[in-house]
Amino acid sequence: MSARDQILNQLRSNERPAEHPEPWRSRRNFPDLAERFTQTLTAGKGEVIRAANFEAALNEIDTILHELQAKRVAVNDTAPLDGLDVTKRWPDFEWFVAGKSEGDIKSFCAGADVGLSGADAALAETGSVVVSSGPGKSRLATLLPPVHLAIVPTSILTSDILTWTAARQGQPGANRVLVSGPSKTADIEQVLAIGVHGPKRFIVVLYDD
Amino acid sequence: MTATMHEFRHSAFVAIEDIQLQSALEGATHKFGTGRTDALAEVPEVEAMRDHFKKVRAATLSQLAHHLETFEKNATAAGTQVHWAATGDDACRIVLDIAQKHGVKLVTKSKSMATEEIHLNQVLSKAGIEPVETDLGEWIIQLAGDPPSHIIAPAIHKTRHQIAEMFTKETGQQVSADDIPGLTELARQVLRQKFLAAGMGISGGNIMVAETGSLVLVMNEGNGRLVTSTPPVHVAVVGLEKLAPTWDDAAVWLSLLARSSTGQALTIYTNIITGPARPTDPDGPQEVHIVILDNGRSKLIGTKYEEVLQCIRCGACLNACPVYREAGGHAYGNPYSGPIGAVIAPLLFGLDKYSGLPHASSLCGACKDVCPARIDLPRMLLELRADEVEQRVLPWWESMSERAAAFGLASPGLFKYGTAVIRQLQRPLAKGDKLNLPGKLNPGQSRKTPALAKRSFHDIWQSGELDNKNGGE
Amino acid sequence: MNLPKRVALLVTCTVDQLMPEVGVSTVKLLRRAGYEVDFPMEQTCCGQPFFNSGFRDEARHLAKRTIAAFAKYDAVVLPSGSCTTMIRQEYLHLFEDEPDWQEHARRLADKTFELSEFLVHQAKWDPPQPTESRTITYHDSCHMNRMLGVKEEPRQCLEAAGCTIDEMAESERCCGFGGLFCVRMPEVSNAMTNEKLRQAEDTHAPTLVTSDPGCLMQMRGLVDGKPFKVEHLATVLEEMTR
Repeated sequence: MSARDQILNQLRSNERPAEHPEPWRSRRNFPDLAERFTQTLTAGKGEVIRAANFEAALNEIDTILHELQAKRVAVNDTAPLDGLDVTKRWPDFEWFVAGKSEGDIKSFCAGADVGLSGADAALAETGSVVVSSGPGKSRLATLLPPVHLAIVPTSILTSDILTWTAARQGQPGANRVLVSGPSKTADIEQVLAIGVHGPKRFIVVLYDD
Repeated sequence: MTATMHEFRHSAFVAIEDIQLQSALEGATHKFGTGRTDALAEVPEVEAMRDHFKKVRAATLSQLAHHLETFEKNATAAGTQVHWAATGDDACRIVLDIAQKHGVKLVTKSKSMATEEIHLNQVLSKAGIEPVETDLGEWIIQLAGDPPSHIIAPAIHKTRHQIAEMFTKETGQQVSADDIPGLTELARQVLRQKFLAAGMGISGGNIMVAETGSLVLVMNEGNGRLVTSTPPVHVAVVGLEKLAPTWDDAAVWLSLLARSSTGQALTIYTNIITGPARPTDPDGPQEVHIVILDNGRSKLIGTKYEEVLQCIRCGACLNACPVYREAGGHAYGNPYSGPIGAVIAPLLFGLDKYSGLPHASSLCGACKDVCPARIDLPRMLLELRADEVEQRVLPWWESMSERAAAFGLASPGLFKYGTAVIRQLQRPLAKGDKLNLPGKLNPGQSRKTPALAKRSFHDIWQSGELDNKNGGE
Repeated sequence: MNLPKRVALLVTCTVDQLMPEVGVSTVKLLRRAGYEVDFPMEQTCCGQPFFNSGFRDEARHLAKRTIAAFAKYDAVVLPSGSCTTMIRQEYLHLFEDEPDWQEHARRLADKTFELSEFLVHQAKWDPPQPTESRTITYHDSCHMNRMLGVKEEPRQCLEAAGCTIDEMAESERCCGFGGLFCVRMPEVSNAMTNEKLRQAEDTHAPTLVTSDPGCLMQMRGLVDGKPFKVEHLATVLEEMTR
């Protein structure tokens, strides 16, 4: 008998009828999702910059990239940046556009200064941004560079992880990550240290759309 | 590894004498404990949410075969290769086969209790494959050759000085023990090279979600993203009980996990993996394997111990346990320490080998209070003790004295006579209300043993002096 | 009101043999609260030590004796949260396979009370206005607090008797007793006790009060040299309401 059958038979021999409880729904009711998102993420050592509209958000990104003195930037070619030719708008940086640029994305990201992405959703309660893999959406772009910069419209904010999962649609792609701050550890004497493996800074430009 | 009564006592004694370790244990468990209280207090109707979660876990385990098959079907449809391992050895062999098929020489690992449980690193090393632990705490204890001493903070027993020394030895770079960001940065640089060079990544798994065949990994450092995104092959080893039928269930699970564990609302990264990279994805692993590990779990279903499989490995019971807080994790002689370890190690790895663990508890119940699934761990410790009596695991003299004492107590005559004899015998030793016993004969060691009172309450009552008329009020 | 005016004292084996003065204080308190107290002489031990060690048959035997000894009373009072828990909760588990005895056990469980719980809820204890005040710190014994949920009652009694409670950092943290645990693992047990006593000392209260004879015995075993003493709830309440 295969291990699979052996295990499943053992489990089945003790299977009992069970009523699965109805889903637990969110009890949250934040008056201002953007405000809660900003508060929580900031408390978790993330950075949030508010912008009035998409164009203002792009200006913020411009400022941040220059302040960081970035040279190499990896970018996910996805909403809300997919209509934009970043190489034309910011010609003074070396760009790798996921899904478009030629070359090895892993080695580019390993040497990049910033990874720029959009987001699929954002959770107010926990200050989390959801980034997924897919066409034009690199996993390494938001992971290997020391800075992850995300541009997030307020329209994709939802209350919390319960409301987010309740609104699910269809099968997810290969990877989906809820990011709730910069990489951190307290493994040495419980002292908080930022940026152990993932990005050392997590900056969200949150704009009204 | 084992933990008999003698071994537990010895190892705990070493921990208790270690002033630095005591202060680290007290500091960490206190911080996690208060963090948990504060984080849960922020959640609306959190006690009802915990009740709900317990129901979800119980219902899931009642029909686990069905849910695992659903998971397998959906994971396979997403391109994941699902394997089943009846034992730890089987799981190691499956992982090793995958590694060898791809000619892997270097493996990066993210923190996984399941792979600690099956001793995967030893198996890989023996086969000439280098496994590198990448969670900072796990890397520290890998360099030190130590087992983890806490489910979520594996290196709490190490000081910054010991860590700096090991890092210098490993990297050849001088680094100050007082520069914790510097130590962290050094680990980042060294391990980053390993991530980029590894041929395979190995992780554990916090939740398998049947609805979509997804695997959820939670972490703060990001290493679990690197392990599962950078190398061409990702293998996860997951205990078969870590299953959530739906995303609604998974969301409640996640809502309780980090709060109970580190006091965070969510960990920094919640990483959801549903199969290998799609053809249109710019990056990601070409193969994803999930090894569903039994290793003694399935036989607990339907027994009085089934409830223990509701555990989500948050570590809250360790932080609450007054025994763990003194004894530390190593006394438990296996990767799972604290109250949960005291229950599952005897169940998964043998009551005879871990005969000390059911007794490594004062039955204070603090673990049950903080468990997100409200697992009745004290009840199960009592059951294990009863099993020990039934299976004659206890030494003969202990069984004999227990039975003799019960016999004496069951007869008021014998009880009276027996205690009278002790009163006579103790006279040369009694000093006030304590016995003056020579060190080695004192069962409480430094704690003084009480002497029997000159007269028992029975004697006082019988004497009539407590009668109302005699001033007994 | 049809409150039973006669109660039986289950003194517990620990109080009986090691600290009978706690039993004496309990009797006096109950009498002052207007109760007639009886003491069935055939009582010995509730069986908890054997239950906790896994000796279920021995525990059942002692449980049956205890049930029989107290069958005729309307209310049973114990100066111990832990033994109260044994009778109220564990007896029912012990007799899962003996429905008749489980029913007897249930009847006993329904009329069994820990002392402070009895004073507050049954006796509606209202001691005379205290003439002196005293600062104490209180240790919550684990079974009484977590399994019986009796946490406020001893504090209410102490305050009614004129005590000011100076709470220690973790009043709920186990004192290290744990029945045979303190003999099986003396190193860990004593380390736990020392932590408890350290927290009590931090309050500067001259008295550490607890409701369980086991905890009392444990803490007294290591308290020598500390600037406070350890007392049973019954002792303190009796002294304060003379």
